[in-house]
Amino acid sequence: MSRILLVDDEPMILRIMRVTLEDRGFQIKIAHNGLQALELVGDFEPHAVVTDIDMPKMNGRELCQKLRERYSAEDLPLFVVTSKTAVEHRAWSEQLENLHFLEKPVSLRKLCTRLEMVLQEGRLAQECTT
Amino acid sequence: MGKTQGTWRDERLGLTMIAASLAVIGLIVFLLFQYQHDTRQERLREQAISLTRVLAEIPFNQLVPQQGQKNILQALYLSHDQGNFAYATVHNVTGRTAVEVTAPGVIVPAAIPTTGVAWINEREISLASGRNVLEVHAPLFTNGEVAGVVTLGFFQPGFGLSYAQLPFFATLALVIFLLTPISYFAMRREIRPLRAATEQMGAILEEAPGAELRPSGELSDFMGRFSEFVGRTQQRIVELEQDHSTMLTSTKLISYRKSRIESVLESLPEALLVLDETGTISFANTRIASLFGVEPEELQGSGDLSWCPDANVCEFLSRCARRGPGGYVANAVQFSLDSVQGKTFSVSAYPLFSPSEAGKTLGTLVVFRDVTVEAMARQSRGEFVAHVAHELKTPLNVLGMYSEALLENGGSDETQRIECVNVIHDEVERLAGLVRNLLNITQIEMGSLQPVSTRSRVHELLADLFRQIQDGHDRDDLKFELDLPREISAMNLDKDLVRVALTNLLTNAIKYNKTGGTVRMSAEETDNALTISVSDDGIGISEADQSRIFDKFYRSEDDQVRERSGHGLGLSLARDIIHLHGGEITVKSDAGSGSEFVITLWKEVVRKVS
Repeated sequence: MSRILLVDDEPMILRIMRVTLEDRGFQIKIAHNGLQALELVGDFEPHAVVTDIDMPKMNGRELCQKLRERYSAEDLPLFVVTSKTAVEHRAWSEQLENLHFLEKPVSLRKLCTRLEMVLQEGRLAQECTT
Repeated sequence: MGKTQGTWRDERLGLTMIAASLAVIGLIVFLLFQYQHDTRQERLREQAISLTRVLAEIPFNQLVPQQGQKNILQALYLSHDQGNFAYATVHNVTGRTAVEVTAPGVIVPAAIPTTGVAWINEREISLASGRNVLEVHAPLFTNGEVAGVVTLGFFQPGFGLSYAQLPFFATLALVIFLLTPISYFAMRREIRPLRAATEQMGAILEEAPGAELRPSGELSDFMGRFSEFVGRTQQRIVELEQDHSTMLTSTKLISYRKSRIESVLESLPEALLVLDETGTISFANTRIASLFGVEPEELQGSGDLSWCPDANVCEFLSRCARRGPGGYVANAVQFSLDSVQGKTFSVSAYPLFSPSEAGKTLGTLVVFRDVTVEAMARQSRGEFVAHVAHELKTPLNVLGMYSEALLENGGSDETQRIECVNVIHDEVERLAGLVRNLLNITQIEMGSLQPVSTRSRVHELLADLFRQIQDGHDRDDLKFELDLPREISAMNLDKDLVRVALTNLLTNAIKYNKTGGTVRMSAEETDNALTISVSDDGIGISEADQSRIFDKFYRSEDDQVRERSGHGLGLSLARDIIHLHGGEITVKSDAGSGSEFVITLWKEVVRKVS
């Protein structure tokens, strides 16, 4: 069962994403900002992180940079939900591999599909290396 | 005195002629005297030599008279014109005087020695009386031997006029003297037209009215031509004076126009440079000094760009100068200066077309403009659009997810279906509120939303609004307190806008209140103002947030704030509405112990706004 860490300051978004992803068999933890996410990630050891960009205390960009310092691209794919386009985040995101942008409004079905696909690719790649 | 001077000046020619004629007479008389003197002297010499030669041929014995003989020398003296005769002597070889005849009063000088006399000799000597004497002497012989010396002395003729010559000289002087006035009067007659012309020219020079040259006399042709020449010269002078006057007027006009154009250029808010056809700076207004710290006079006539502190601007100006006549650089360049903090400037160039020749350019106008406001507005607009997009996409995201969840489950789970519908409903409300607030704020900022003030009963307005909010909220745990004076004076207000502002404050008081807290609204009226207070027992606002809480789209990063939905426009709109009424809105709060917003509406200002 894949573990997914959801990070967003909008409770309603977190709630519907949690319900949907749990229905698809994912194990979910939620955080309301980047700082909280960094505190949880050590114990939870997620297979992927889905985070919003605009959040208080620590935004999604900073969270991604810190997570990438701790975890390699193969170990932890990152999904960023943004109201802007991926191009607008290119300046800081180019250095970070295995980072996927999801533009708002986000389709829950597409989110699940992309999560499953990326995680599947990761598992296959890991099997190949072992 | 003036007349005397004029007369002397007029007659100076005559006087000069008289003086000249006297000088000529004197000169002629002198020359005649000189000639006469020389002639007489020569004749005397010849006569003396001839006589001496004759006497020298007479034997010594014959010249020395014997007893009872006549003295030849005496006879010579008596026969000669006695005017010139001085003396005649005969000496023997021993030097003793044998014979001596003298004019009265003459002392014969010492004789020369006989041994030294070979033949006839002469000498000039001066007597004791002061008269000059020509002395001629010759040896005398007896039987072939020198026996003595005969000496003749004649007075040298002096200067002077003999009586006989007087009529000649008088006649000559008279003729010369008579010729002088005749010549003078003839000459005066001839030069009279010249004198008249001189006087007329004097009058012309003194600019006497009606002064002109009138030809007369024998010089009429010359004077006629000269008069015509003077007339044409006068006409030319008048034309030149007119031209000069016209030129002076044109120069003043040009100078005035130049000053006017420079004044216009100086009064413009932009800093300006005018480059001529060669790219040299021909004009710079004083705003250049405040922008670049260099005096306009230092720039004029220079192509040097060392004063320019920004590399991009230097490159821009170089391009303007390089392009030369007709050239200009289309794209403006934006820059900032260290000397003027927080400002953004742009430099642009425009060709200066000749008004008289189509297509010809006289140079380039370079304009430095302060575009800080435009740049900030552009940045602000960009940020505003980004905020709006973000605020719109967030509820859209919620709507999309919940509607998708409804579609996926098909409403099989009743609890989830109801939750989804409620969330969608809330988000639609939130979205509508966002759009409404956005529209209001935009209209207020654009100035298109003006308050439509009507005489309003403030007491009823506040009471109705409070009751409406109290009835419409979804929190059962809260208490509501309304504390209004018994009577509040009617005021001119835009009721709809004031309701929006107060609704936003009351909604926030509900949204951010603690469980079991109280929402209060009170009012207080003074002579000058009405204050309306909205307070709660909520999470409060930190001091750092209080300074930004009225900014558009600002939301505190406090978790308790973020837990509640909002888009950061409510307080901003409330402030804009109160400002639109000339009022003030302030906040008093401590984190964790509630907030109080106080609106002050000044009666006088409200009346004016109305």
